[in-house]
Amino acid sequence: MQNSATPQIAIAGGGLVGRLLAWRLSLHGLQVSLYEAASLSIPSGACWTAAGMISPQSELVHGQAEIYQQGLRSLSLWPQWVAALQAQTGRSVAFRCNGSLVLAHPQDSSELSQFHQELSAKLTAMAIETSQRPVSHLDRAAILQLEPALDWFDRGLLLPDEADIDNRLLLPALLQALRQQNVKLHEQTPVNCASRQILNASGCEHFDCVIDCRGLGAQKQINGLRGVRGEVMVVETSEVSLQRPIRLLHPRYQLYAVPRSSNQVIIGATEIESDDMSPISLRSSMELSSALYSLHPAFAEARIVETRVNCRPATMDNLPLIENTPGLLRVNGLYRHGYLLAPALVEQVERFIEQQVT
Amino acid sequence: MSVCEQTDKADLLQLFTAKFNSRLLVGTALYPSPAIMRASIKASGAQIITLSLRRQNPQQQQGKVLWDYIRQSGCQLLPNTAGCKTPKEAIALAEMSREIFATDWLKLEIIGDDYNLQPDPYGLVEAARELVQRGFKVLPYCTDDLVICRRLLDVGCEVLMPWGAPIGTGQGLLNKYNLQTLRERLPAKVPLIIDAGIGAPSQAMEAMEMGFDAILLNTAIAKAQNPVLMAQAFKQAVEAGRNARRAGLMVKRKNASPSTPTLDMPFWHQQSS
Repeated sequence: MQNSATPQIAIAGGGLVGRLLAWRLSLHGLQVSLYEAASLSIPSGACWTAAGMISPQSELVHGQAEIYQQGLRSLSLWPQWVAALQAQTGRSVAFRCNGSLVLAHPQDSSELSQFHQELSAKLTAMAIETSQRPVSHLDRAAILQLEPALDWFDRGLLLPDEADIDNRLLLPALLQALRQQNVKLHEQTPVNCASRQILNASGCEHFDCVIDCRGLGAQKQINGLRGVRGEVMVVETSEVSLQRPIRLLHPRYQLYAVPRSSNQVIIGATEIESDDMSPISLRSSMELSSALYSLHPAFAEARIVETRVNCRPATMDNLPLIENTPGLLRVNGLYRHGYLLAPALVEQVERFIEQQVT
Repeated sequence: MSVCEQTDKADLLQLFTAKFNSRLLVGTALYPSPAIMRASIKASGAQIITLSLRRQNPQQQQGKVLWDYIRQSGCQLLPNTAGCKTPKEAIALAEMSREIFATDWLKLEIIGDDYNLQPDPYGLVEAARELVQRGFKVLPYCTDDLVICRRLLDVGCEVLMPWGAPIGTGQGLLNKYNLQTLRERLPAKVPLIIDAGIGAPSQAMEAMEMGFDAILLNTAIAKAQNPVLMAQAFKQAVEAGRNARRAGLMVKRKNASPSTPTLDMPFWHQQSS
């Protein structure tokens, strides 16, 4: 243990959780060292691949109540955190709270009914107090009012309080904030974590507490942690302009389309039970692009500017994991819910750290 | 044999040389999490579970963490060829599955139509012939067509898995006449498993009452709001349907016959009713 008056915290893993934690803890006056196995300017984890949706209700349909509750907490934290970060760094992270739109083609309208029925049933079963506005049914005119480009749908659902954030603006902004707050940054430095110790090729360093948020990098230490492959494409067109994340329901293919600046749209994402980082498959790219084309035919001439593949770290119950032991905390398994869960989890870890170092 | 003995006698499902207490086979896809999948399998009582390699880049064994987790259920694994469209693809995947899962059991699935995932009967017979020759225990997913089923038996299949309705539709037994024909015309020793299309326990029960030997399903459990409870419901329905079949269902009659004697009812009332 260090003798200095300021508690020394080490964070392993420079992804979304690692950065948020380093930022928050150093704001609280702790001395933070951040270790990243790859590069900090271009993160290698799922946080860089994701579309940055913060959608507790959409995720509840196929997910679990815990995710929804923590998602609501995150949704209430994001605006304050984003405002603080933007003020500190002078950069925008394009946090957007326009809600999200769920659509299905007329022949698949039963999917929309199923979606709404499952969501209502789960919300009723949980019976928790929330300030979330209810889901509203949209007809053709109401869809056109929200999304003038989408002239092909007769029915839809608006989830009015859902949000999204541009991860490719957020993660660099967080890095800048860490530099401003004198966080000790160690790139290209793979490490192992033990209680109050960071172990790397050059030996062992001591801290008051170590936080392991290495995602799949911690697979050997966390039993049952697995990678779930996701594939994403980024397309660009000036012909279709969207105002918010769109989910298109289909009996077999699920698509989300998240509009970004410079006429780009992120479309995704596959979910394949495999720890496989190889490039996107032809089949996945065809499924994603044909689903996007069915959203609006003008997407046919969109340019594919990027494809992204990564594996989401997931536990066997697909719920996030926080392990709090003396001198060592582990946060992992955010699965497909990184931006939805991170602030709520980071807040919990902040409390554990406070208990451990004071 | 007395009635009591008949009730007590173990009623096992025999597939090839293996015997099973459970007549419900379940899939491993679409669950909210692997942990819920495993709890659902347990609640269903299933002893045979089907799983797919198709999209997992199996040469690299990158889905291994999950496969090991599924293996721990202790069930007979039934690898499937879901998503294959040609015999060649299916045979290649079958060989890979046999190696990875160390079993020669195979649910053979060859898709002929992308929209309703209808089996391709020609490709199915062709692939089944080759796979039986290669020593696989082939359980073909087929339509309810009597002639196709016979061709599958001709090429060496010992078990057939006709659909109730297209995969994932939850429509139940769409063509009961065809299904009844299969049960009546195909040899009684051939186990017939209703595979696909079952959405509700009542549908599974009806198939069992009709004399089918087992039910295979996935979506109806995995996509239920409480998959574990739904798995239990299907277990009970399949057992009830099987018991009803063995007990002998009564034949429907036109006239009501009171189950308690109506001796106290005046005869002129009985006549007018």
